[in-house]
Parts: sequence; C-alpha cells; structure tokens
Amino acid sequence: MKSFLNIVTFDYLQRTRSYGFLITLCISLAIAYSFVPEPNANYSTIRIGKYLGAYNAAWFGYVTAIMTSIFLSLMGFYLVNSGIEADTKTRVGQIMAGTPVKNRTYLFAKTLSNFLVLLTITALVFLMGIALFLLYHDTGFSLEIGHFIRPYLFVTLPALFFISALAVCFEVLIGRFSILQNVVFFFVFCTLAMFSPPGDSHFTLDVFGSKIVTHQMEEQVHQLTGISKKNNLTIGYILGDVEASKKFEFNGIHFPYPFLLSRIAWVVFGLLMVLGCATVFHRFDFRRPFELKKRKKSVVAQTIPKDILLSNLTPPKIDYSLFPLVKTEFLLLLRKGKKWLWLFNLIGMGLLAFLSFEMAHKIVLPILWFLQVGRLSDLTSKEHLHRVHYLTFSSDRPIRRLLLSQLLAASALMFTLALPLIFRYGMEGNHIATTSIVLGSIGIVLFAALLGQLSKGKKLFEVLFFLVSYANINGIPFMDYFGALHTALPYVLELVALVVLLTVVTLGFRKIQLKQ
Amino acid sequence: MKLDIQNVSKRYGKNNYGLRNFSITLEKGILGLLGPNGAGKSTLLKMIATVTRPTEGLLLLNKNNIVKDPNYMRKQLGFLPQDFGVYPNLSAVEFLSYIAAMKGVGGPTLKPRILQLLDGLNLSDAANTPIGSYSGGMKQRVGIAQALLNQPKIVIFDEPTVGLDPEERVRFRNLISDLAHECIVILSSHIVSDIDTIADTIAIMKNGQLLHTGKPDEIISQIKGKVYETSMRKENLTAFKQDHLVVSTARSNGNLLVRYLSDTPVSDSISRTPNLEDAYLFQTKTITA
Repeated sequence: MKSFLNIVTFDYLQRTRSYGFLITLCISLAIAYSFVPEPNANYSTIRIGKYLGAYNAAWFGYVTAIMTSIFLSLMGFYLVNSGIEADTKTRVGQIMAGTPVKNRTYLFAKTLSNFLVLLTITALVFLMGIALFLLYHDTGFSLEIGHFIRPYLFVTLPALFFISALAVCFEVLIGRFSILQNVVFFFVFCTLAMFSPPGDSHFTLDVFGSKIVTHQMEEQVHQLTGISKKNNLTIGYILGDVEASKKFEFNGIHFPYPFLLSRIAWVVFGLLMVLGCATVFHRFDFRRPFELKKRKKSVVAQTIPKDILLSNLTPPKIDYSLFPLVKTEFLLLLRKGKKWLWLFNLIGMGLLAFLSFEMAHKIVLPILWFLQVGRLSDLTSKEHLHRVHYLTFSSDRPIRRLLLSQLLAASALMFTLALPLIFRYGMEGNHIATTSIVLGSIGIVLFAALLGQLSKGKKLFEVLFFLVSYANINGIPFMDYFGALHTALPYVLELVALVVLLTVVTLGFRKIQLKQ
Repeated sequence: MKLDIQNVSKRYGKNNYGLRNFSITLEKGILGLLGPNGAGKSTLLKMIATVTRPTEGLLLLNKNNIVKDPNYMRKQLGFLPQDFGVYPNLSAVEFLSYIAAMKGVGGPTLKPRILQLLDGLNLSDAANTPIGSYSGGMKQRVGIAQALLNQPKIVIFDEPTVGLDPEERVRFRNLISDLAHECIVILSSHIVSDIDTIADTIAIMKNGQLLHTGKPDEIISQIKGKVYETSMRKENLTAFKQDHLVVSTARSNGNLLVRYLSDTPVSDSISRTPNLEDAYLFQTKTITA
C-alpha cells in the first residue's frame, strides 16, 4: 500500500510541477470562464430552443459540472495519456520493472495519479464556477453550495475517473502508436458524446452523466411551453440570439439511485479495464530487433576497422541549400507512427476526392488533418524531446534554416493531404476555397510550431488541436481556420493576416529562445 | 586558430554561479578538462559551442566575439554534447546527412565522407538501420561521427567515452591525437585515464572555477614526494581516511594496499611515483574553490 501511495504521490508531483501542466491549467480556466457566459455576452453554451437558464446557483453548478465533464474528458485524455510514456523516456520504468511492484499496483497508481491531475483542474473550475455565480447571478438568487457539489460529485468525477482509467488502458494497449491512440480516442469520444439514451432508464449508460441533467432541463422547458419537442437542446458555443431568449428557472435535479449506482459501476468498470490491461502490460520490456539481428551475426569473424584519419577523409563541400533539411524533415514526418496507419490518410484523401464539397471540406478535411496531430505536435519540440537540440542549435543559422525547413516540410504534408480537394476546387474555379485551404494548412503548421516552442512539449498543441477540430466538425464559425464555413474574400484576408501574425510570432519566439 | 576565453561566468540567480571568472587561451592541441560532477565543465563547453550565452566575459575565436557572432564559431565547430539524442526513425546515414545539411555541408562528397566515418567507427553494418535500435555505444559513435562531418577547426567532446568499450576507447584516443594536428580539441571527462596520455594541457575545475591549468607533467610535479603506499587491515581504513587523502585501495594478501597523499607518511609506507590521478585528487580534494 505504501509503494502504491508513493507512486501516486510522486507521479502526481512530477506531472503537476511541469510547465506544460501550468499552461494547460491556465487554458482550462480560460475555457471554464466561458462555460457560463457573462450576462451581456453574445453567446450561450446550453440552450433549449429559445430558452436559457436563469442565473441561479443550480444553473451555474450544473452547467459548469456537465461542461467540465465533457470538455475535461476530451482535453484531459491528452493531458494524462503519457504517464507510462514518460516513465519509458526517462527510464524510470526500467527501474520500476526491477522492483517487486506488481503490474496492477503500478497501473492503478497511474490511474489514480491521472485522476488526481484532472481533479486538480476540476477543483479550480469548481471554485471558478462559484466565483462566476457571485459575479453574474440574477437578483433574488443566493448561493446554494449543494447545487455545485452534487453535479460535480455525481456527474463530473466518475466521468473523469473513467477517462483516467481509459488513458492508462490506451497507453498499455496502443501506447507505442501515438497516432493510433489519437484516432481511436477521437472516435471513442465522438461515439460517447453523441450517445443518445433511448429512455429514462438508459441514462445509466451515459459515461459523461450529462444527459440526465440536460434531459431534465428540456423537460422543464417543455412543461413551461406546453410543447414537447425533442432534440431542441444544444450544447457548445452558440453564437447570437441571446437577447431574444427567454429565461426559465432550473432548480437542479434529484439523481435517482440507479443513476448513482451506475456512476459507481463506471468507476468499477474503469478499474476492471485497468486490471485486464495489467495482464498484458509490457513492464518496459521492449523488443530490440536490431540487437537480435546483431546477435545472430556475431558468429561471423569481425573485421577490425581502420583508424579514422581526418586528413584521409573525402573533404566536405560547403552547401547551404535548404532542400536536404526539408527532405529529412519531411521524411521524419512521414515515418512517424506505423506505416499501416497511412491507410487512414489514403482513405481520407479518397473521400476528399469523391464526397460532396460540403462533406469533404467541413467534415473530412478537419478529421484528416487532425489525424496528423502526432506528426505536427512535436514539429519544433522534437529536438528537445529527442535531445538533439544541442546539435541543431549549435549549427549554422538555426532559425533561418532549420525552423524554415520544418515549417515547409509540415506545410507540404498538410497541403499534399488536402490536394484532392484543392484540385477539385481549382477545377471548379473556386479560388477562395483553394486559397483558404492552403492558408489553413500553413496556419495550423505555424500554430503547432509556436505552441511546441512555447511549451517545449506536444501536449498543448494536441489538446488545442483536438478542441479546434471538434469545433470544426460541429460547425463553430470562429474556429474555421480553413474556410469551410466562409466563402467571402474578406475572410481569406483575415486568414492571411492570421498566417502573417503567426509567422512573425513563431520566428520571433525562436529568436528569443536561441538568445537564452 | 586561437580561442581566447576571458573572465567568463555563467550565473543562475543572484549568487548561484555555474561558472565563475574562467579564463584560458587555447591554440592547436588538446585541452583536457577534468573535474568532478557539477564542476562546470559542460556549462563551459556549451558556451564555447554557442548553445548557451555567458552572463559575463568574452569568448573570442581569432579575435571574433562569438557571443555576438555565434555563426562564426558554428561554421568551424564539431560538438559532441554529453547528453545528446538522435531521431530514432532515421538511419545513421540519414541522420548524419541531416546534421551535415544543418552544418552547411553537402554536395557529392558528403555521402563518401559519411560512409568513411561510419566505417572508421565500426558502424558500416548498421549504416542503414534505424538508430532507434542501436545500443548506447553505437549511438555515441554516431555522435562522434556527426562532430567530424564538416572539417572542424574546433572540436568539443563532452564526456565522449561514455558507453564505449575498451577497444573503442583506444581507437577514440588515436582519433583525437590525429585531430589535434589540425584543430583545437577540448575534451572533458571525470575519468582521468581518458585524458592523461593525450592532453597537451589540462585544466582542473571545481565548483565552477578553474583550480589549475598546465601541462600534465607540471601538474604531476606539484605532488612529487607526497604519494605513498601502505598495507593495512580492512577495519583500520575508516580511521586512516580521516587523517589522510586516500587515492585508491586494492586487496593484497588478505590486507588492503592503500595509496594515499600526505606530507608526513605513516611508518612502513613506500614512496610512489605520482600520476595524474593523484594530482587530480590532490587538487579537487584539498584545494577549496
């Protein structure tokens, strides 16, 4: 038990003391701040037809709780799904493997540590929810703390625990294929988020626990209007129509016992999944194919190599061409992940070629680009991650040559993937769409480069790119970085301005980084 | 080729120095940097390699200030950092081509040069295999190869023999001796035997400061008549260590043969010829930086 608690404590401390965690925490709080819009804001996050909730304690408590349950499940997975990977990279895992600690103890400790990390963020969001209530509440409503505690306890926490366990299972089963992890989680999350319970008794199957709350909100509005209209509840960032909205008073819900039991069941299910994974956990014993090959060859008599005499070597020739750097950066991008995962990219490119323009541009392209998250996320931080930075930063003109080659290679990759759609738009003479996609491919690469430099890691970009892609698929206009929802020339100019701004900031930041 | 390091310091925080007032002038030949862990060797080397900037002081290469114009140094530098990594998905040939491109080296002569380097470092068989599958020693040899890709005039090796087997260490020492005919070679280690036979000049560092610099013979001559050997029972060693600076111990006929430094030897001691390891320990254990 002591070793279990030690692993949990030190793992938690190690993660939360990182710069990346602080950035993620700040971003989480910034997003949480928008969960309940300030009274004059021109957007809403949960609305039922034309109705919005009155700003009472229940509305603040329940809305922030279910938004946290959904958003933190999405972001949190990316934040915590590298606990075992970190132990592999730091080689702490090998030390652990040599101790008597059992696989299940180690994996349960990782699950709990994941959960504690998410719990830390949730605790701050919870406090922010209360602070927002005190700032914005409508007159006549007082702070009822139970309306905050209950939804967080019964909705948010079980969901986050399940995500913590899921992250461990993903790491154990497909941890070495980061691209596959992203793809599979993307589909798992979308499936879970879009789950629609067929009846009241099926709320137990909703892992995020939000449907029972939103259903109750809908019911209340239906009672108020007398009209029973299904599927008029929307969650997300809904722009406009706020002033014309009517208000209804939401007073929280009484969680039925089967639902409460189901929350425990989800937690237990998570633990059982981890227990199952413990039986196949690699315990940091990775196969090293080259060493095996070498061993086979060792029966052959070895030749004694000649000494290196520098004066005998072919003299080097000065060549400052950018092409070899771009070529190798492109190779590094292509070789990231397993070869067979390229099948997804090929399918995506095929869909871009044959689906309708709307489907291809609004749905397939953001998904296809999101599949490259593993490639883009360490575009400019990979030198640090692979400890090659001393070699690269001590080479000639690293900003002008290395960073530029990384940006060119990654933009070329994103452009190539979008090529079928660009070609089709080109044939149609739709130059605005063509330009928007090209700008989008450059913009997202610059965004990845900047966040990589800023955080010296890949998590920040992974989390934000997931959010952006999710927003793209849900048609949220202000996240449209590749012109899927905008067809006017002024928007293209806005994209140009964005690309220029990102270029200046990215190059400037690298310059500062090198001076330090 | 002349590297002039003048009163260079690296300060972290108000009074926390990684390196303090370090000065040395180097011309062709091998400088061996010796010092315990945390002495500031890597900090100094990173500053010379233009990876970090000094807080104070000047670094001049042929009178060019390399803090202001780092690319002047980078064009003629070969640098093997202590804690470097590789891209595991690239083969040795691809990785070296990539580093060469960053150094501004290319053209039709690049591939033969890479193959010759890999051959000389006994990596020909693995030249086209992803580096991710290499052993630690093989990766270290790739690191040595990348430092020699351009025709470097200054070569910096930070703890270069980590992971190399005894045969490779010997070959590496030969390589460095060859390099010293044309370049300034700076070699850091806390293993004295890596340095003692090849360095023209030795600098001993401790707590971010230069304790002593000079030719190996000069450094050794400082402890002439202070190195002794005596035999004792194992249980007496702890008490003996409290009064004497013990260099090494070895088992001999059930007792311990103890080599130590002292101005006043204990009875039954035999005077021994001092070596660089004795001098290094004398400098780092008795002199306060």
